[in-house]
Amino acid sequence: MSIVRRSQQWGTFARMWHVFDATWQDPYQSSQIIAKYLLGRHKPISHPMNRCGDHVVVINSSEIALRGDEWQMRVYFHHDTYHGGASWTKAWELHKKDPTMIMKKAVYRALGNNLTRHQAYARLHVFLDDKIPLEIQQNLSSQIKQLRPVPQRLDQISPEELENFPQIVKLPETYVLT
Amino acid sequence: MFRLRVCTRLAAQLPRAALVNQIFQREIKRSVRPVLIELTKRKRMQKNPISQPRNKWIDWNRDAELYAFNQRLSEKFKTDLLEQAFTHRSYIIQEEDERKKVGLESQLQLVDNQELIDEGKQIASLVVENYLNEVLPLAPRECILALKNYLLAEGNLAKTSSGIGTKDLILTAEYPVSEETLMNTFYALVSALNRSVDLEHVGKFIRDIVISTLAEKDLIEIWCPEDPMEILNDILDREGRAYAESRIIGQTGVNTLIPVYNIAVYSNKEFLGSGMGDSIEEAEKMAALNALLRMFDLLDSSKPISCNLPIRDAECNSSLESWKRSDKV
Amino acid sequence: MVFQTVALMTRARGPDEFWRKRRIFRLSSHFRGRFRNCYSMAIRAVHRSLQFATKGRDAKYDIIRQIWMNRIDSAAMEHGLTYKAVKEGLTRSEIHLNHKSLADLAVWEPRTFKSLVNIAHERVKQDGLRIMGYLKAPARVLSKGK
Repeated sequence: MSIVRRSQQWGTFARMWHVFDATWQDPYQSSQIIAKYLLGRHKPISHPMNRCGDHVVVINSSEIALRGDEWQMRVYFHHDTYHGGASWTKAWELHKKDPTMIMKKAVYRALGNNLTRHQAYARLHVFLDDKIPLEIQQNLSSQIKQLRPVPQRLDQISPEELENFPQIVKLPETYVLT
Repeated sequence: MFRLRVCTRLAAQLPRAALVNQIFQREIKRSVRPVLIELTKRKRMQKNPISQPRNKWIDWNRDAELYAFNQRLSEKFKTDLLEQAFTHRSYIIQEEDERKKVGLESQLQLVDNQELIDEGKQIASLVVENYLNEVLPLAPRECILALKNYLLAEGNLAKTSSGIGTKDLILTAEYPVSEETLMNTFYALVSALNRSVDLEHVGKFIRDIVISTLAEKDLIEIWCPEDPMEILNDILDREGRAYAESRIIGQTGVNTLIPVYNIAVYSNKEFLGSGMGDSIEEAEKMAALNALLRMFDLLDSSKPISCNLPIRDAECNSSLESWKRSDKV
Repeated sequence: MVFQTVALMTRARGPDEFWRKRRIFRLSSHFRGRFRNCYSMAIRAVHRSLQFATKGRDAKYDIIRQIWMNRIDSAAMEHGLTYKAVKEGLTRSEIHLNHKSLADLAVWEPRTFKSLVNIAHERVKQDGLRIMGYLKAPARVLSKGK
């Protein structure tokens, strides 16, 4: 193999590092996308026998958003193998204990059940906020697009902007907004 | 014994045809297996297996084979020249010795191919270099010479030679035929074709049989410039442009065991080429090499070597010391 | 025909079973343990493996087709289109390339594939389909004989 081909091969099979911001994202829908990157299914050269999976760094996992009443209704099952050892933890409880756990479990499930799962899962790095170790931060080279744009909250808008916002109806001074 | 007696009694009573029919089967006979085992065993025991060259077999018809050789290649070799091209010096010496042993005094009417070989070497070298200059006009002279040496190397020519079916036709003392003899036979054939037809036809013969093998080769494997950055800067200097400046245009996994750097070289903000590598130095080297290959038109994506150009004199390509893009474009 | 010896009158033992067994052992040569060399076990394993092979011939094609579709999809996503949009656009433009050719182009000739995606994109946009991607339509692409 000539050095040109070698360099081309090195570039083709480069193991990329992507970052995914989980703020206000549904972990179960985003895990489908993250799993695709972890297994390398987003590359035209992908093949089950081909090691082309990438690394994904998920940040702000404590800011995830579950749909509807899923925080109360979704339950995580665990059994410690002893008699009567079954336990059911609600999503909000689990998130309180470990803010990265829901994201990790969602991705683990999305990776599918075969022998490539453990290797692909090892390439996932979940952080509860946007503080990443420098060593990992230097590796990053790409960003995965979020599923939905993050809406701006009312308390994040400055009072001046609120003041200058055009109003359709001029409310009387005595009118009380609830 | 009892069974045998019953059988004989039965045989006396039954019609013979019925018994005979039971023996015939459409299968491999029981005798075959032990015979094959024995034969294989003996073959393995043999220390020096006798291998007879094909041209020593009694049904070998040399004249027919020579005719077939000519027809197979669709060439017009003159028969006497073809005969001469295949006859090596060592064969004539061997034959004369054997004649002396038998007691024959008359001389052999054979001419060896030494003269043809020497002539063929010059012709082949000339044709190959000329054609490569024609087909790769932007490549430097060093590249052309390296490709020529590769094409006319002993192993490559021996392979080509045995590929067109010279192996059994060669008359030489040695067996099996060595690579050198095969190569020399090819040269002799080239010269014989030159005397039979003309030089242009020989050019086409060499182009089709030898040079066309380059089409599937990675040329950089055969020739790769050492220290491409220096060469690139020399060329840019000669063309009156700014020196090459390398920039990282992409990197990933820097702190891992498999980092990838993508570096591009620019001259006065003009893109020249880019390359990948596992370290910055390596990637920079590859970028410079990519820029050079872009200039020399030797990239993977550039047009492959065409094998249907006419044979004519081409002017010599300039060497790396004096290469300039403005020369050819 | 005259038989001069009684040896020929004994029971004919039929063909040599050695060769019949060789045929089976050739198929079982890569099996494990006694399934390789013991005939009665080998023949059972060979029959079983041949059944699997028969089923696998169809299953293999399904898997390969999945890989082709995935490759086309991922290559199309690089240009902002989905697999569905590319197939629809190409079919409407009467470019009937099959999965295998498209996947090969996606891997080995990315620029050819990109131009195909551009054509598909333009066509999908002209016909007003909702499976459009995010990208703007490329300039200078003729898709409807204009």
